[in-house]
Amino acid sequence: MGEEKKMAKPVKKRASTRQKKDWAAGYVFIAPVTIGLVIFYVYPFIQNFWFSFNDVNKFNVATFVGLANFKQLFQEPDLLLALKNTLIYAVVTVPIGLGLSLLVAALLNAKIKGTSFYRTIYFLPSVTMSVAVALVWKLIFHSEHGIFNAVIEALGGSGKSWLTTPSTALGCVMIVAIWGSVGYNMIILLAGMQGISKSYYEAAAIDGAGPATIFFKITIPLLSPTIFFVIITGMIGAFQVFDSIYMMIDPMTNPAFNEVKTMNVLFYQNAFMYGYKGYAAAISIFMFAIIMIITVIQMIGQKKWVNYD
Amino acid sequence: MRKNLRRLAVFGLTAAMGAALLTGCGEKSGGGGSSDGGSKDGKVELTMAVWDSDQEPVMNEMAAAYTKEHPNVTVKTQLTTWNEYWTKLEASAMGNSSADIITMNVLHVEEYADAGILMDLTEAEKESDLKASENFPAPLLNGYTVEGKLYGIPKDFDTNAIFYNKEIFDNAKVDYPKDGMTFEEFRKLCEELDAAGLPEGVYPVPVNRNSGQTTYDATIYANDGYILNEDNTEVGWDDPKTIAGIQPWLDLVLDGLSPSLEQMANTDPDSMFQGGQAAMYLSGNYMIPSYNKTLEGKYGIVSRPTFNGKNTDIINGLAFSVSAFTEHPEEAVDFALWLGSKEAQTIQAEAGVVISARNDCQDIYVGTHPDLNLQVFLDNVENAELLPHCKVTSELAQVEKTYLEQAWMGELTLEEACKKIKPEADAILDKMNSK
Repeated sequence: MGEEKKMAKPVKKRASTRQKKDWAAGYVFIAPVTIGLVIFYVYPFIQNFWFSFNDVNKFNVATFVGLANFKQLFQEPDLLLALKNTLIYAVVTVPIGLGLSLLVAALLNAKIKGTSFYRTIYFLPSVTMSVAVALVWKLIFHSEHGIFNAVIEALGGSGKSWLTTPSTALGCVMIVAIWGSVGYNMIILLAGMQGISKSYYEAAAIDGAGPATIFFKITIPLLSPTIFFVIITGMIGAFQVFDSIYMMIDPMTNPAFNEVKTMNVLFYQNAFMYGYKGYAAAISIFMFAIIMIITVIQMIGQKKWVNYD
Repeated sequence: MRKNLRRLAVFGLTAAMGAALLTGCGEKSGGGGSSDGGSKDGKVELTMAVWDSDQEPVMNEMAAAYTKEHPNVTVKTQLTTWNEYWTKLEASAMGNSSADIITMNVLHVEEYADAGILMDLTEAEKESDLKASENFPAPLLNGYTVEGKLYGIPKDFDTNAIFYNKEIFDNAKVDYPKDGMTFEEFRKLCEELDAAGLPEGVYPVPVNRNSGQTTYDATIYANDGYILNEDNTEVGWDDPKTIAGIQPWLDLVLDGLSPSLEQMANTDPDSMFQGGQAAMYLSGNYMIPSYNKTLEGKYGIVSRPTFNGKNTDIINGLAFSVSAFTEHPEEAVDFALWLGSKEAQTIQAEAGVVISARNDCQDIYVGTHPDLNLQVFLDNVENAELLPHCKVTSELAQVEKTYLEQAWMGELTLEEACKKIKPEADAILDKMNSK
């Protein structure tokens, strides 16, 4: 933040031809991403906002209905259930995922042999197609041929149909989410850890601090901006969870589907299964507002614990 | 070295992203196809949207045969997988990027017709020599007639039968099922299999909750019950006759002759049959190509069990519709009508993938898999009811799912479940009818 301000100053002066040329080059460089963002994010967002005030049929024909969609949303019988599931999902997966990623990152930050091998292994889930991941996990949790039940039975327990039992289905999806998020978060945290000056650690070691004290008193505080980033992006991602649930819990055949519905699944159901696109747009705008509020709260809250020095 | 590697990686990533962006755009503009069929030189290119890759070759064959007779018209098939077919069609339907000829099914035709996406073919059919009412089964024509107007030329149809795994019957030393069994005989056969001791994980017959089309829809009709009333204002789930039409199927599940709902959610019943975990399975003729992949020559087909003395079945079928937004209405309509001709439907039937809808071409299908008694599927046509459907079928399906599943798991009696479906389903119909 601070750096940006410092850099912004010279721009206020009249730009020389050379500077103008530099800008042109800059614009050329950002153009591909910007154009992509405008076409695939900004325009759809505006259209979606407009759709939320319209009755939109399957074929995208919109009729203005004012706030009717939002009125319907607050009478939605599944709204509380979906909100609750989404919240549970976010509150469970983000902190556990963060804790595990921190642990893995700290271990991989140590000087041991084969760190790059382990880094690759832990990062693999992030580069695997989510559909493939969901399918493999579906097999792992399979009631008859799954490894999960095989292990439980070998240990003397009794297996069950995890993905079709309403009380366990969401848990299974969360395990997959945590497993999938560790690699990506670990890379970011590791980068943050490597940016911490060695001198702190040397000083602490001389003063006789143990590894736990060093981790909690030095690594965590100095890593707090990175941790904050991981939490923010993790929360946003968790509130938008859809693909893993949709892939692992089939809407037509799985009896747990209704119980594990999250907000985005509710959105999908209305938009693409039933064809109520205006109502679905209202759901997504509602979610956008919730995510924004939560992010703003976190932005304010960070002043208390995030250390930028 | 390391720096170079990193640079290379960055370059590679950027290139990949750029390429993805470019192809993404390319697809969007190229996907339509109908807009650039330039007819200045009299040449017209039509596009035809299809979803079944098994059928794409024969569709191309039909298109080529048409071009032979009409050298100025070429037809390009546009394959989209089933999972994306309707989503893509929904998005493109109102624009001129839609295909000219659309493969349509009964579940969607009404809303597409209502939205003005499909061309009314009534007049064109009358002026042609197609004689649709003589040449096609009535339930199919009715299925594609919305408020008295014809919106599709029937393409093919499917009916249902019992598929049985010969190996499982042989090993259990139980006689194969026979044509025309009553439901009681069918159940007895399941019990016999069960008593004979099937291997672990093998069941007499999976009763798929999610597939009324192959199981209880037909017995509901046979029992004089109903699912939807004539004018789509009310469902008939709570009718005692409807409930009595479902109960015997559910009993097979509750008595352990079928895998449990949870087992069928973990492995879908089609896969169970393909994997040799089901002695029998009720399915449509469209599954034959899939079953042949693992079970060719190892299974047989007999007619569905009769119920209440009737051998009612459910018929479903596809049709060729013409987009109302086509730039070449004359050619597209002419091609759609030709697709209903004896010549076209013969080509389709000979491929052996589907049963041609045309009455005088149905027999050809019977000869395409000589080891299977395909005649069963044709015999069902005269006693078949069209798959129940309306504009909110998928929404109703979720209500039915919620409560029927509880009955399938034994948490509710069937009667309780059906009584709970009724008010919620009726409310959805009310909403549909008030629009």
